Amino acid sequence: MLTRRLSPRRFLTRWGPALPLLVFTTATLVLPAIMLVYESFALPDGGLGFEHITKVASNPVDRQAIGGSLALGVVQATLATAIGAPAAWLITRMRLGGRAFWLSLMNVASNFAGIGLAFGFVALIGSTGMLTLILKALLGVEGNPFPSTGSFNGMNLVYLYFNVPMFVLLTLPALSVLKNDWQEAAEVCKATRWQFWRYVGIPVLSPFVIAGWLLVFTWTIGVYAVAYAVAASPGSQKLITLQIGTTLETSVFGLGRAAVLSVLLMILAIGATVLYRLCLKRAARWL
Amino acid sequence: MTRRVFLGLLAVYFGLPLLAALLYSVATRWTDTPLPDGYTLSHWINVFAKPDVVGALGRSLLLSAVVVVIEIVLVVPAAYWSVVHNPRIGSMIQTIAVIPFAIPWVVVGAGIQLVTKSVAPQLFGTFWLLAASTAAISFPFMYRAVESSLLAAGAVQLSEAAATCGASPMRTLLKVIVPAIRGGVVSGALLVIATAMNEFALAKILVGVSFETLPLWSARQFVSRTLGDPNALAVVTIFTFGLLFALSALVVWLGRGRVSASMGGNTIS
Repeated sequence: MLTRRLSPRRFLTRWGPALPLLVFTTATLVLPAIMLVYESFALPDGGLGFEHITKVASNPVDRQAIGGSLALGVVQATLATAIGAPAAWLITRMRLGGRAFWLSLMNVASNFAGIGLAFGFVALIGSTGMLTLILKALLGVEGNPFPSTGSFNGMNLVYLYFNVPMFVLLTLPALSVLKNDWQEAAEVCKATRWQFWRYVGIPVLSPFVIAGWLLVFTWTIGVYAVAYAVAASPGSQKLITLQIGTTLETSVFGLGRAAVLSVLLMILAIGATVLYRLCLKRAARWL
Repeated sequence: MTRRVFLGLLAVYFGLPLLAALLYSVATRWTDTPLPDGYTLSHWINVFAKPDVVGALGRSLLLSAVVVVIEIVLVVPAAYWSVVHNPRIGSMIQTIAVIPFAIPWVVVGAGIQLVTKSVAPQLFGTFWLLAASTAAISFPFMYRAVESSLLAAGAVQLSEAAATCGASPMRTLLKVIVPAIRGGVVSGALLVIATAMNEFALAKILVGVSFETLPLWSARQFVSRTLGDPNALAVVTIFTFGLLFALSALVVWLGRGRVSASMGGNTIS
């Protein structure tokens, strides 16, 4: 099949109607990715080298941004898992009404994103935010007790708003693999609750939970809109995506630096996605 | 007990930012009291009379419409051919479809800027570049929706029947297949519209001020908070949120029975 040469006519009848889409997506998604890799090694004199990479690696702001994105990704993935996993478990055990309420709440939250979400948090915990004013009126708290939304802690507070629902919506279908019968079977065998979780629950669910962790990590390091909004104030946390954005806007010739940072994000995202797929494949044994 | 406290705190956390934005959109004056001094609908009325907001909303709607058209034209024939004639098309496209899920859109934007700079600099900052890029990142939604409804409608049998009756492939596609998969196309289009209406990274990087979409307008107001109009921003925030929520609810309602894949599915690859 593969060895036989396709005549142009035969090629067209097999691939023709799909060619526009294939050409379009290659030009807009595949080619840009390849160009970014090339650009990060391209030198001004036309050769190839590591100049852009060493420049980024020695730039203190870029290093802060890389550290900031990695730390935010890890902290977010861990927090979203720590909050989302028990929440998802509680939601699956709810009666129909409660479950419907929580699912709609998660859907509502996952739709409140981007610049609007940043605005919502500033309106809530900014210096004249609702919660800040309530604390002042009720408890006499002076000043703003909350972290600035542009700080590392503030970003964590904001990001959880979309990461927790994402984790819950993602793992909810998976939790149903843990059959009620298994729990009953364990009880019949006089297993304690702890033993059930230790030997059945956690081993079965952990690939799904790890997959969720990886996805939150991937998603977090790539966030741009919310980050752009909350980081508008001076002295805010540096992130890779923000560095890419400012570099592209401020200098047409600084593309090499943006390319290196983009390729770094790409490697992280692709790595996490590959691991994510492996986890799900492993988890699928129980489906 | 701990369970109640945990869920209660979570509900408060998810409710409050939305409530704060909502109250801001109907507050008369709200500076140093826990709740607004009074309530009014005048911001809602005034905002949609402001030329910059109306313009931005119009541009976002235009972008969504163009992106949907591009995607229908590109995706439907490809998905049809993949399901009926050549499954290798499908696996190739699924591989490409991983890119917009895994790679951050700001990176996609940087790459597209790079390609445009070296291939067609005259496209730089134009509406068409933004439309093509937005179509690129949102095409997996359309592809998946169309593909699953082709399978559900039995496209293979339908085309065989049409071919037996002597219909050409083009005629089969337009007269038999497209009517049968309307539902899938509509669901895909709704997800694409939701993406296009709220997409920020590509618009910011590729066109910036020359084509101010609604998210770009919001960002400008937000960043220049002292000069901007917080009440108007609150109205646009709640409006955008309501629109996205309605779109996702509509997708769920259209796909009753096979809900889980499309909801929150923005993120599942």
